[in-house]
Amino acid sequence: MTTEPERAGSIYDLGYRSYGGTRLGRRHAVRTVYVESLRSAFGLGRRASSKVIPVILLVIVLLPAAVHLGIAAASRQQMDIVKPEDYSSFVEVILALFVAAQAPELAGRDQRNRTLSLYFSRAIERRDYALAKLGALVSAMLVLTLVPQAVLFVGNAFTTNDALEYLREDAANVPRVLASSVLVSGLCASVALAIASRTPRRAYATGGIIAIFVGSAAIGGILDATVGRYGIMVSLFDLMTGATYWIFSAEHEYEVATELMFAAVVGVTAISVGLILRRYERIPA
Amino acid sequence: MNGDIVRLTLRQLVGKRRTVFMVLVALLPSVLATAFRASGEGDPAEWASTQLLGGMVVAMLLPLAGLVFGTAILGTEIDDGTAVYLLARPIPRREILLSKLCVAWLLTAVFVAASLLVAGTIALEGTDEWGALIAGFVVATVAGSLAYCTVFTLLSLLTGRAFIAGLLYVFIWEGLVTALFDGTRLLSLRHATLGLAGYVASVSRDTFDPELGGATSVAVLILAVAAAGWLAVVKLQRFEIGESG
Repeated sequence: MTTEPERAGSIYDLGYRSYGGTRLGRRHAVRTVYVESLRSAFGLGRRASSKVIPVILLVIVLLPAAVHLGIAAASRQQMDIVKPEDYSSFVEVILALFVAAQAPELAGRDQRNRTLSLYFSRAIERRDYALAKLGALVSAMLVLTLVPQAVLFVGNAFTTNDALEYLREDAANVPRVLASSVLVSGLCASVALAIASRTPRRAYATGGIIAIFVGSAAIGGILDATVGRYGIMVSLFDLMTGATYWIFSAEHEYEVATELMFAAVVGVTAISVGLILRRYERIPA
Repeated sequence: MNGDIVRLTLRQLVGKRRTVFMVLVALLPSVLATAFRASGEGDPAEWASTQLLGGMVVAMLLPLAGLVFGTAILGTEIDDGTAVYLLARPIPRREILLSKLCVAWLLTAVFVAASLLVAGTIALEGTDEWGALIAGFVVATVAGSLAYCTVFTLLSLLTGRAFIAGLLYVFIWEGLVTALFDGTRLLSLRHATLGLAGYVASVSRDTFDPELGGATSVAVLILAVAAAGWLAVVKLQRFEIGESG
C-alpha cells in the first residue's frame, strides 16, 4: 500500500516509514473525542469501579418516575404527583452530583496524564477539543434528564384508559420537556466543565463544582430573605427551576419574573462556555 | 503519635487555597444567623437548634469539612505518589495513620466548632438556652468530627474517588435515605451527632428533639470510629509501595 518515499535531501536514511493510510481528518477526530468522552461519562470502556457512581446516580434519578408510576398503577387512577416541570427540581442535587463526579473525569484525566499535547499536535484544534468535551458532558446530562421524563410520559400514557387520548393531549409537553432538559443540561455541564478544566486534581474539581451548586443555593436563600427578592437569582438550582417553569408556563412561587431567570440561565451558560474556551486556548500543553 | 508527621500534615493542609475556601464556607452560618436575628421572626432557640446548628452546621459544614480534611491527609499523598516516601520510613503505619488522623480531627473540629460558636452566639444571644445548646453542639461536633474524619480517611484508602463517594454518602444516604426510612438513622453519623448534641444540651423536647437517644448516639459514634479506624490501619499496613503508581 505504501510506496517508498522520496529520499531527497536526507543525509542519513534512518529507514522510518511515514504513515500511508487514509487520514480521517479533523471532523473524525472531533467525533472520536466526543464519543469516547460520552462513553467515559458513564464509565463505559473503563473498569467496573468507574461505572459504579454514574450508574447509582442514573438509578436514583429514575426513582421519582418509578415511584410515581408504581403508585399510579397500584391506585388504578391517573395521578399528578410528579409533574414534568417539577422533575429537575426533585433531582437537582443528583444532577449536580453527576457533573461533580464526571466533569473531572472528562477534563482532568488528559491534564493529569499530560496527554493534551498529543491531542493538540493532531488534526484537532483546541477549540474543537473543548467543544467535544462539553458536548459529551451535555449529552450525558441529557440522558439523565430525558430518560426519566420519557419513562414518566410513556408510563402515564399507559396508566390511563385511553393511551392515545393522553398522548394527543400531552404531546404539547414534548417540546417543552426537550427545551427545559437542554437548558438544564447545558447549564450544569458548562458550569461544571468550566471549573473542572481548571485543575487536574479530581478532588478539587469535584469539591469546587458541588460547592458552587450547593453554596449558591445557600447564599441565594440568605440573600432572598435579607437583601431582597432578586437574591434568589444567585442560586443556580432556583434559576434552573425558574427557567423550567417559564418554559412550561407553569404556576410557581417565585417572586421574580421567571423569564428573567431563563435569561440568567442562558447568560450563565454562555459565560461558562466562554470560560471553557478561554481556558483551552491558554492551557499549556 | 509522631510530632514530625503531625507538623508535616499541618503544613500540607493549612494555608492552601483549600483552607481559605473552608474559612469562607465556615462564615456562612454566621451570615445566616445575622440575617435571622435582623428579621426578628420565630423562636431563636428552636430555629438555631434545628435549622442553623442542626441543619446547616451539623448536616452540611461538619461532613464537608470532615470530607475535605479526611480525604486530604492520605488520599492526596497517594494520588501524588508522595505516600511512598512516608510509608518507606521505619515508623509503624499505625502511628502514621493516627498522627495524620489527629491533624484532620483537630482541623475539622476547630473549623466547625469556631463557626458554630460564632453563629450560635449571634442567633441565641440573650436566650435561656444559649449556654446549654452551644455546649451540647460543641461537644457533639468535636465527637462527630472524629467519626467523619475516620470514616472518610478509610474511604480515601479504599478508593481513588473518595471525595465523590463521601459526597454521595452525605447527600444521598444521610440526606435522602434517612429522611425516607427512619430505621436507617441508626447508621447515620449526622443523626448520631445530633443525638449527642441533644443529650448534652438536655433542653426541652419542644425546642430540640433529635431522633436518636444519648446512649445510642455515643455507641454509634464509638463503633464508627473504632471500626473505620481499625480497618484503615489494616488497609494501610497492607498498602504495598509501588502499586499506587
